[in-house]
Amino acid sequence: MQLPAHVVSHLQDEFFSSARLFCFLIDEDYTLVDAWGDAERWGLDDIQVGHDMRDAAVFLVGCVISEPQVLRFVRFSRQHVAHVHLIPAGRQSYVVLIDARDEHEPTQAKQQTMNELRLMHARQNRLINRQRELISELVEIRSELDHHRQEAERGSANKSRFIAMMSHEFRTPLASIINYAQLAREQDTSRNDIQKSVETIERSARHLNSLVEALLDDASLSAGRLELVEENFHCHGLFEDLAGMMAPMAAEKGLSFATFVDSDVPDVILADEVRLRQILINLLGNAVKFTQDGGVRLKVTYSNNRLVVTVSDTGPGISSEDQEKVFQAFERGSRRSETGAGLGLTITLRLVQLMGGEVSLDSQPNEGCTVSIYIPVKAQAGAETAEDPVLPVPDQDALASRPLSILICDDDDDMIALVEHYLHRSGYGLITTSDSSDAIAKTIKYDPDLVLMDCNVPGIGGVGAAKLLRQQGYEKPIVALTASRLGEEEKLAFTRFFRKPAPMQELLTEIKRLTH
Amino acid sequence: MTSITSKVCIVGDFAVGKTSVAERFVNNHFSESYLTTVGVKIDTKEIEVPELGISHKLVIWDIAGSERFGHTEFAYLRGASGYIYVVDGTRASTLRSAMNLQDQINDKLGGAASVVLVNKKDLASDWEVSESNVEALQSRFSQVFTTSAKTGDEVERAFEKLARQILENDMRAD
Repeated sequence: MQLPAHVVSHLQDEFFSSARLFCFLIDEDYTLVDAWGDAERWGLDDIQVGHDMRDAAVFLVGCVISEPQVLRFVRFSRQHVAHVHLIPAGRQSYVVLIDARDEHEPTQAKQQTMNELRLMHARQNRLINRQRELISELVEIRSELDHHRQEAERGSANKSRFIAMMSHEFRTPLASIINYAQLAREQDTSRNDIQKSVETIERSARHLNSLVEALLDDASLSAGRLELVEENFHCHGLFEDLAGMMAPMAAEKGLSFATFVDSDVPDVILADEVRLRQILINLLGNAVKFTQDGGVRLKVTYSNNRLVVTVSDTGPGISSEDQEKVFQAFERGSRRSETGAGLGLTITLRLVQLMGGEVSLDSQPNEGCTVSIYIPVKAQAGAETAEDPVLPVPDQDALASRPLSILICDDDDDMIALVEHYLHRSGYGLITTSDSSDAIAKTIKYDPDLVLMDCNVPGIGGVGAAKLLRQQGYEKPIVALTASRLGEEEKLAFTRFFRKPAPMQELLTEIKRLTH
Repeated sequence: MTSITSKVCIVGDFAVGKTSVAERFVNNHFSESYLTTVGVKIDTKEIEVPELGISHKLVIWDIAGSERFGHTEFAYLRGASGYIYVVDGTRASTLRSAMNLQDQINDKLGGAASVVLVNKKDLASDWEVSESNVEALQSRFSQVFTTSAKTGDEVERAFEKLARQILENDMRAD
C-alpha cells in the first residue's frame, strides 16, 4: 500500500514539529546556501545566506562530509542538544539538526547510573586490594614477630647454655686456684709443692684470662666495635713464631708439626698482626687440641693479593652437621669433652670477615680437617716495619732513679698489695686509696710524681677523677690500670693506658720512663 | 591578527575529569558533582599568540568517556587537529584506556598533536599512577601533564602546549 500524499504530508508535518527540526544547505566552503525550519529555536536566527556557517554551527569546524553521517547528542550550546545529520549532495551538503533534548535526559540518567556503579565497583576493588595488602602486611608482620620470638627464644636458650657453660669453664680453673692456694698456705707443704701450686695457679689464671679475652672479643665483634690496626710487619717472622709456639705443644702429644711457607709470600705485609696471630693461634690450637694421632700442618701461600693460610690436621674430623655449628658462638659440635668457651672459631670467622676475607672448612669424620683462610693483604715491598721494642733489663730499668712518690687508686686490696709490692721493691714511695674522690684530694695535697688509677672505683670513677685532676692543674702522668675497656675519648684522660692483667715489668718500665 | 580555528577532542575513560578539564579551561570553573557526558559537548576558547600574530580559536569537543571507540565516537573525532587524553591519577586502569584510545586513533585517523593530562592531582592520598606508569606515558606522548581541574593546576599550560603543537603542525603542512 502506498500512503496518499496528504497522509505523508501530515506525518511529515507532525515529525518536523515534534523533532523541532532545522535544516540548512551549505556549499563546499561551509557557506550557507539555504535554510529551512525554525532557526530561532536553535539560536541560529542571525544566520545569513552567503555567510560561513562554521561561526554559528561550530561543530562544522574540521568536518569533512563525504558520506552521510550522524553525530549523536551534540551539545553545542547550553540549551541545544541535537542529533546532527550530515548528508552530502554533490558539492553541497545538507545539515539537519534534530532536537535530542527529550532523549538526552533519560539516556544521561541511565549512563550516569551505569558509570556511578562502575566507579563504585572500582572503589570496591581498590578497597579489596587494600584489604589484601593489609592482610599480607599483617601476615608479614606476624611472621616477623614469630621470627623475633624464635630469635628471642634461641637467644634465651643460648644465654642459659652460655651461663651453664661459663659456670663450668670458670669454676674449673677457679677451683684449681682456690685449692692450690690453700695447699700452698698449709704449713707442711714442701717448697717444691708450693712452687708447683703457684705454677698451677698461674696456669689456671692465664686460662681464665684467655676465657675473658675471648668473651670480650666476641662481644666487641658482635657489637661491631672491634677495629683493625693495620701496620707493616714481617709475616714470615709471625709464621716462625707460631711454629715455635705450636711445635712443642704438638710434640708433647706425640704429633708431628710441619710448616710450609711459599716463597711467593711477601716478606712485609700491611695487616693487623695481632688479630692475624689470634686467628692462626685459634686454628692451630684447635688442630693440636683435637688431634690425637698423626700431625698438624701449616701451609701459607700468596696469590691475587690474598694470603691463603691452610691448617690441616689428622684429627677426628667434623661431620657435615657439625660443620654448620662450629662457627657459631658457644658451639663445639660433638667435641664437648674438650675445654674452651666454644668461641675460638666464631671469633676467627668474624675477624677474617672483618679483614674482608673468607674461611673454608673441608672435613669428613675420621679423615681430619682442613681450614683455610683467604685474607686480602697488601705486600709492602721495601717498607719499614715497626721495630719490636727492646725489652728492658728487668729490675735495673724498673728501679726508680730518684726518690719518687706514686699515688695508687684501686678498690681491690689484693691489686693494691701486688702493685705496692713491686713499686716498693723498685724504690717508690706510695700513697694508696680505694676511692677516686679521695684520690683527687690526696693528689692535690701530696702532689705525687705519678697517679696510677683504676677506672671502676667508688666516687666519680677513674676517668672522671683523671679529668678533674687535669682541670685542677695536675700536670704529672696519670696512668690507667684497669680491667675496663675504655673508649678513645676516655683514654685521652690518661697519659698511658694499661689493661689488667698488665705485665708488671712493662708497667714498671713505663712508670720509670714517665717519671724520669 | 590572523585567526585560526582548530578542532580539539578530549578523550579518555569515564569519570576521569574530561568535562571538568574543559570547564576549567573555558570558563575557569569547577564543579564537585559528577555529571556524565552523553555524546559530545562542544565549547570554544580563543588563545592569543602575540609573537606569531595569531588568534587561535580552539573548538573543544568533550567526548563521552570510553575505554574503546566505536563507530559513533569516530564520527566525533574526524577532522580533529589535536587530542587531549585524560587519565584519572587515582585509577591506574584509566591509563591503559588512554593508551588503547591512542592506538585506535593512530590506526584509524593517523597521528596528530596530542597531550596527556594525568588529572586529579589534588587527590594525592588516593593516587594510584606510579612513576613507572608516567614513564610509560612519556614514552608514547611528547607532553605529559599532572593536572588538577579542581585547582586549575597545569590545565591551561597543557591546552596552550597542545595549541602550540597544532600551530607547528599547521605551519609544517603549509
